[in-house]
Amino acid sequence: MHSHEELKYHHKHAWAEVAGKKATMGISEYAQNKLGEIVYIDLPDPGTRIVKGTEICEIESTKAVSSFVAPLSGTIIEVNENLKDAVDIVNESPCDSGWIVVAEIEDLSECDDLLSLTDYQTLVKGE
Amino acid sequence: MKITVLGSGPGGYVLALKAAQMGAEVVVVEDRGVGGTCLNRGCIPTKALLASSELFGKMKRMASFGFDLDGRITPNMKKIIERKDKIISTQIQGIHGLFKSWGIHLKHGRGELLSNRQVLVRGEGGEETITSDRIVIATGSKAARIPTFPFDGKNIISSTDALQLTEIPKSMLIVGAGVMGCEFACIYSELGTEVTIVELLARAVTCEDVEISALMERELKKKRIKLIKEVRADRLEVCCDGVHTFISNGQEIITEKVLVTIGRSLNSVGIGLEKVGVKTGKCGEIEVNAQMATNVPGVYAIGDVTGGMLLAHTASCEAIVAAVNMLGGKASINYNNVPSAIFTTPEIASVGLREHLAGEVNPDFIIGHFQYRALGKAHAIGEISGFFKVIGDKKTDRLLGAHIIGPHASDIIHEAAVAIKAGLTVKDLAETVHAHPSLAEGMVEAAEDAYGQAIHMPRKAV
Repeated sequence: MHSHEELKYHHKHAWAEVAGKKATMGISEYAQNKLGEIVYIDLPDPGTRIVKGTEICEIESTKAVSSFVAPLSGTIIEVNENLKDAVDIVNESPCDSGWIVVAEIEDLSECDDLLSLTDYQTLVKGE
Repeated sequence: MKITVLGSGPGGYVLALKAAQMGAEVVVVEDRGVGGTCLNRGCIPTKALLASSELFGKMKRMASFGFDLDGRITPNMKKIIERKDKIISTQIQGIHGLFKSWGIHLKHGRGELLSNRQVLVRGEGGEETITSDRIVIATGSKAARIPTFPFDGKNIISSTDALQLTEIPKSMLIVGAGVMGCEFACIYSELGTEVTIVELLARAVTCEDVEISALMERELKKKRIKLIKEVRADRLEVCCDGVHTFISNGQEIITEKVLVTIGRSLNSVGIGLEKVGVKTGKCGEIEVNAQMATNVPGVYAIGDVTGGMLLAHTASCEAIVAAVNMLGGKASINYNNVPSAIFTTPEIASVGLREHLAGEVNPDFIIGHFQYRALGKAHAIGEISGFFKVIGDKKTDRLLGAHIIGPHASDIIHEAAVAIKAGLTVKDLAETVHAHPSLAEGMVEAAEDAYGQAIHMPRKAV
């Protein structure tokens, strides 16, 4: 378990929690709120390479089909299998049990320009 | 005018009725049940099974509609098949009733052309030669027998067999992600079968627009249907633990059944074509002109046996054209305006140009999109996946094509078919008042979107 403060945010509404070379990733509380009821996440396969700032997979809600954008580059090593049967976990707990993928990251320095919770909240206030 | 028709599918029986309505004396020769593949082994039975599987699917979501379930709901395949058979039987009786009403004679037996005026009918009661002024060949098509996939009716099955299963298979591999493959995948996966599809090409339903294929593939994934693309099923082996399918990517997949949905062979063999000199093409298709006449005077051919689209409604349309031409009128077939429908969940329907092909015909076109999830009605019925797409000519604004994936797509598409036939514009569609709340409102919004003015869409980034 972690607090939202420990997470690093990408301005395209994804978060990453980095531990060593691994990073757990998901969408922000703001994003889940904007999306509304999530009905499907097109979960990628482990082994898929992801690139910071580009789409990892699509998230389908009752309002729209949106992109889940990679906060960091790397290779997916795990996906949250629980989401296959209960995708609503992302709405209930986007920054905790609603994590989407774990990736082995390529370049730790990519974390440098990710945002703190406070900075991210300031950013989304303007949207 | 006396007309003999070989075959009573949606080509043959429609021709018989139309010709009788126009005053002809008509004999129909049929060696199986009237209604052909469409009614007995195709369109109607699959839709009957689909109705059962979709209802089951909806019942699985009943909680979201506000229902509590006290107990279990279990699909009973025997009863589902019984229901399907009853529907077919009612429809068959309907055709018999229409034949009787219009004085059409039905001869049970297999017909063979002896000349351009004579047909030999071999039936249970012996042989009979029928003489008439015109002959129409409407013998249809059947599932092709491909040596790699030896049908045994039990483990390796055809689409016909898939309509007779009395138990829901635990697992099924479907060869081909085309129209039939995707339809059966939706039916059986909803009923609980674990379905894998193998497809030679790079996308599912390749006959459709590229975006439609992409959404269909996502819907298949949602249903946990595994689609393996760009592979070939090289070899099948029936073992005690199921059918082993060896795929060109090295994988070996074991399933209870393998359903082969690729390939149709045309029923043009053994009906006397050579004797009379009726020209056929490479695949056995009977060559016809736009009036549906063959090279032999007085002999016409319609429907699947002429190759082409292999659609029931095309056969029926060709039937009308042939009847009019035989009975003194003038009519030609035009395939540009034939809609197609795929009864997957969600449905797919289209008419006219596909976007990826539009450039070849007319590089200057406009596109409008609209999502089902932006329609109130889609939310009310709990089916929000899908979109509408219209393609128009940039200069003239004429509607060139429409593509829909989503609930009731097969019903909604026809307004676009009418519009294309009548030469109407994208603006005509946008300015036609549609009832609210309806799914067809999506057509209006897609047409408006072609000009960036869909009412229920946010402003597009410039």
